[in-house]
Amino acid sequence: MVHQPTAQFASGRGGPGAGRPPRGKRGLQGQTPRSDPKMLMRAIRYLGRFKRLTLLTYGSLLVATFAQLVVPQLLQNLMDAVSRGFIAKQVLGLPAQFQALAAQALSKTMAQIQADQTGAQTTLTTAAIAMIVFAVVQAVFAFSQAYNAERVSQHIAFDFRNDLFAKIQRLSFSYHDRNQTGQLMIRATDDVEKVRMFVAQGLVMVVQAFILLISALALLFLTNVKLTLVILPILPVAFIVFMVFGSITQPLFMQVQIRVSRLNTILQENLAGLKVVKAFAREPEEQARFNTAADDLLWQQVRVARLFSFLFPIVFLIANMGQAALLYFGGSQIINGTLTIGQWQKFTIYLFFVFFPLGQLGFIINLMSQASASATRIYEILDAKNDVENKPGAIELKDVHGHVVFDNVTFRYFGSGEPVLDRVSFEALPGQTVALLGATGSGKTTIINLIPRFYDVTEGRVLIDGYDVRDVTIESLRSRIGIVLQETMLFSGTIRDNIAFGRRDATMDEVIAAAKAAAAHDFIMEFPQGYDTPVGERGTTLSGGQKQRIAIARALLMDPRILILDDSTSNVDFATEKMIQNALDKLMKGRTSFVIAQRISTVRNADQILVMDKGRIVARGRHEELIETSEIYAEICTSQLVGDADRDLLSSDEQVKEEVHL
Amino acid sequence: MMMGGGPAAHGLRQETSKPKNTAQTLGRLWSYFKHYWYLLLGVLVAVLLTSYIQVLTPDLTGQAVDCFITPATLKALAGNATSVLPGPTGGTGGLGQAGAPVGAGVAATLKSNCWFAKLDPAKATTSDYIAGLGRLVLLIAGLYVVGSLLNGLMFYLMSYAGQHVLRNMRVEVFKHIHRLSLGYFTRHEAGDVMTRITADADTLQQAISFPLVSVVQGVVIIVWVAATMLSQSVAYALVALAMVPFMFVATLWFSSQARKAFRNVRSSIGTVNASLQESLAGVREVQAFTREDENIRDFNQSSAAAREASIRAASYTSALGPSLQALGYISLALVAGVGGSVILSGGTLAGTTISLGLVIAFIQYSQRFNQPIQQISVMWTNIQSAIAGAERIFGLLDTLPEITDKPDAIEMPPIKGRVEFNHVYSEYEPGELVLKDVSLVAEPGQTVAIVGPTGAGKTTIINLIPRFYDVLKGSVTIDGIDVRDVTAASLRKQIGIVLQDSFLFSDTVLNNIRYGRPDATDEEVFTAARLARADQFIERLPQGYNTMLGERGSGLSQGQRQLISIARAALANPRILILDEATSSVDTRTERLIQKALEDLLKGRTSFVIAHRLSTIRNADQVLVLKDGEIIERGTHDSLMKQRGFYYKLYMSQFQVQEALGIDGDGREPAEEADKTVVGSK
Repeated sequence: MVHQPTAQFASGRGGPGAGRPPRGKRGLQGQTPRSDPKMLMRAIRYLGRFKRLTLLTYGSLLVATFAQLVVPQLLQNLMDAVSRGFIAKQVLGLPAQFQALAAQALSKTMAQIQADQTGAQTTLTTAAIAMIVFAVVQAVFAFSQAYNAERVSQHIAFDFRNDLFAKIQRLSFSYHDRNQTGQLMIRATDDVEKVRMFVAQGLVMVVQAFILLISALALLFLTNVKLTLVILPILPVAFIVFMVFGSITQPLFMQVQIRVSRLNTILQENLAGLKVVKAFAREPEEQARFNTAADDLLWQQVRVARLFSFLFPIVFLIANMGQAALLYFGGSQIINGTLTIGQWQKFTIYLFFVFFPLGQLGFIINLMSQASASATRIYEILDAKNDVENKPGAIELKDVHGHVVFDNVTFRYFGSGEPVLDRVSFEALPGQTVALLGATGSGKTTIINLIPRFYDVTEGRVLIDGYDVRDVTIESLRSRIGIVLQETMLFSGTIRDNIAFGRRDATMDEVIAAAKAAAAHDFIMEFPQGYDTPVGERGTTLSGGQKQRIAIARALLMDPRILILDDSTSNVDFATEKMIQNALDKLMKGRTSFVIAQRISTVRNADQILVMDKGRIVARGRHEELIETSEIYAEICTSQLVGDADRDLLSSDEQVKEEVHL
Repeated sequence: MMMGGGPAAHGLRQETSKPKNTAQTLGRLWSYFKHYWYLLLGVLVAVLLTSYIQVLTPDLTGQAVDCFITPATLKALAGNATSVLPGPTGGTGGLGQAGAPVGAGVAATLKSNCWFAKLDPAKATTSDYIAGLGRLVLLIAGLYVVGSLLNGLMFYLMSYAGQHVLRNMRVEVFKHIHRLSLGYFTRHEAGDVMTRITADADTLQQAISFPLVSVVQGVVIIVWVAATMLSQSVAYALVALAMVPFMFVATLWFSSQARKAFRNVRSSIGTVNASLQESLAGVREVQAFTREDENIRDFNQSSAAAREASIRAASYTSALGPSLQALGYISLALVAGVGGSVILSGGTLAGTTISLGLVIAFIQYSQRFNQPIQQISVMWTNIQSAIAGAERIFGLLDTLPEITDKPDAIEMPPIKGRVEFNHVYSEYEPGELVLKDVSLVAEPGQTVAIVGPTGAGKTTIINLIPRFYDVLKGSVTIDGIDVRDVTAASLRKQIGIVLQDSFLFSDTVLNNIRYGRPDATDEEVFTAARLARADQFIERLPQGYNTMLGERGSGLSQGQRQLISIARAALANPRILILDEATSSVDTRTERLIQKALEDLLKGRTSFVIAHRLSTIRNADQVLVLKDGEIIERGTHDSLMKQRGFYYKLYMSQFQVQEALGIDGDGREPAEEADKTVVGSK
């Protein structure tokens, strides 16, 4: 129902994992078109959760189908009454002396003839009224069936969505490293919808088709065996045609899909890279490229159309041929007196009932295979093992002091490959500031990710106040750790909501106090709505510096004992930078802090500097010692550390305003 | 068929939109279709013929009853009847001695238009009747075959024309996108435009062949069948058509209710998706702040809202199919009931004779009639959405390009590189000046650095040179030629641009570099890559220069993408170069490579640089300081420093912080020191 342009999400976000492994190697990205019917069965079993609705659906289906099957019988009664009455009337219209003879010719007594005539109108009226009654009954129950099937399926979709959401929310970082947001979105929307469609429509159709086919066939046999046997051979023919049809069209449609996406890629690139196209005056070439792709698609569509146009009518032709055969053989039987007009009419309609499920077969199979693939993908997530989970009997971490120890820690992504951290040991005493330095991919980010147990160590231990982080509950651990990421993501909601992100119960005074400490209060008050200003996707856009201060306020409000900062400079100007720096200094006071340092001031104030290279600590100490003793440190100091807005010189209004004060 | 099963009628399930001006849009669509008028003529002929067959076969079935089955039945009943009855339809051999009057009566109730009915009841045997029936059935079967072929032809011709129309529209839209100026895309999100185009093309695609023909054919059949019934018996036809108004009302009412309900569904699903997307994108934050439980609770709420909205919509969509079906059965009951009663009570209805065959024919007619109504009710929403989609596409096509070549535009002669802005005013939105009275001269080979706060108009200046926008007042000239007097293509071909966000195409590395000059040899590409310092990492890629890049160059780091876009510009070898320095951080090594590559690239060309690096500014021949759309200071770095104005203040604020670095103890000039510590200046 909802088609989200996935490209938008496909890029993923740069979170706190700069040295993150390449995406998609083991992930869902390669999208195996695997489909396991067992998974569809598992999904169908969700029906058991809604027994009442399911019963209502299938009960209604039975009644509706029954009513549907009765209508042709009533039509027969009606038509037979007409022809009986008609003949009786002719007989009774004869001169009296001939009447007995005529009756005899019809092998009926005069009393019967009389009854035929007088009863005909009554029978007819009764049958007609009954038909209308059954039509209404059928409609009511068909509605009930469709509506309740939809209700069940919506409830199932609801459960699936929520289960998926809950699972995705709790899956560890390493899972999210491997899987792209866009792919996960598809699971939660498209795949759920496909499974829902099958449960709402496909499954009901299967059951209905089955009942209709079997009972209509049975009724055909009951009515007239000979005629049924004459018509029967058409069934397998129709069946085969449908199957062939399905198997031929599948790959053709796949080709169409491929060509459509090729076309869309060109379109997408030309929209996103319009400036480049124009700058290099490449419009003619791009147009030629697009035309070729459009032609490719066109001819594939024409191929599909050719097949469809002629195969589709064949399906109807077979059904019609059945009716023609029925007209001839049925007609002959009527002439020979072995079939009545009413029976023949009934036959005509039952034959529709036999063909109708066959016509739906292709649709059902298509629905089923899609749903099966989708269910498989959904369960891939629901069954995914969460690497980081509370261990049974995990204890609550209370009154954290902030004593952090890395004891010979080795870490490999997905537990294999090159170690990202190689036998790292260090100790941070309560209240100390630890600065982490090193090139991209040296392991800084990994260290800070191991403290709140976003990943589990491969070897060694991470201890907080002497507890292994794997022995305490994740909630109690993380609620005592404050984190300020380099790129701050704001959630839709007000500024207040975002500051109170980690503590929804915080009072307004607490929020304001945190914002003031984070130097965010002033700019927040400049918005007309102040703390109630909506931000995020659909709200006001905040600058990078403003976001960062909100993030600091957010962490401050948690009053954490341990603080983790990714201090890398984003695009903020000098004045903002300075404010952020002050706020950070305040934030770190009295807390054990781990900082991925970009600012020289941070490094100078740190109690401990860890210089990382290729997953190892290659130098450690204070600034004054290291600048003398470590060449790597001196090199990093000059090439990586900045005092302020480095590259963004002269590029912000805020800075210009602030300039006056300097 | 009319006896369709329960869960049919899926037509209302998609959300739909209504076109604003259907007639006008259809007229525009016709202008595309008319090139294929001969195909459409074929479609029309096929529609008429198939409809005729649809109308004819019930009549023939009626004939089978009246001309063969009934007479033969009556004859068989009479056994070896001897009496002969007169009658135009062959009548019947009567019921023994009772034959004559019965026959007369029967004759009166039989259809008078038997095609094959030249059987003489006196001599015809039962097998003669069966043989006659056989001939009639063969004719019917033959008609079915012809009808199927014609149906196939009809769908094929329509698809053929429709797909060609769609292709032409796609190509036109694509071309138009190139014609639109960049201004359009600052006002409209490229992603939105993309979704709109693809989604609208998709709805058109889905409606343009099968549903369209089905609806047209359905309408023809409805009209034709109705007319046929009316011509055979006005009164009886009115009985058969009695339910039609109810069908229309049901269709319209349920459709409009469903449309309204789906609007709610769409917005509630939108909320679900937004919260899903956000929680996924921010999953790390969520876990860091242990917000999982709250988020799950919130999500369940919006998810439940979506469920309830969908269920409400389902109450309408589930009702339409069964309602139409019930109405179909009711009209069947009416046709059979009323027809039967008339036969029983005397055989005429409002003066028209009703025969058994006519009843049978009418039963079939009403089936033929109800089926298209159900089909149209399902397809109609598709077609409405398609028209609305076409309307939006035409809306896009009607957007006038702001920048077009003058009719007498000349080719830009080879550029020497003197760029002059002459009292230039510019605006994005009417009334919002972005540049005010900007004048500047860049001599060939000079480097001009543009600095200033965000929103000062730096980007606007560089966008005016390749004429991505037009000036409001004043002029931009290159070598003395106004950029509006030359063709945009010839101008832009001689200007190189390196953007902040290096955009790469999903193609090979080789072709991405060659994008700057399609006719460049491989050797030239390699040389350009070497100049851009991109050769080393490219050669380490799995397939070197032939490595396929993902969408937007995914698979490469940002720095690597920048190097490739520098190589691309170098290969184009432009006389004028425009450079928007990237602000985002890349690792130190790559940063140095980029820096060197850019220095080489700028050499000997007139260059405009939106500068973020101190070294660039220091090396520039001219520095323009922009504020609020005006050039407030200009000169070289040194002269600006001496001025002690706006630039100086900014620079000094930079310097003051450098002091905090604590590595300033070697007694060098503060300015030099500052430069040293800035990333990328090494």
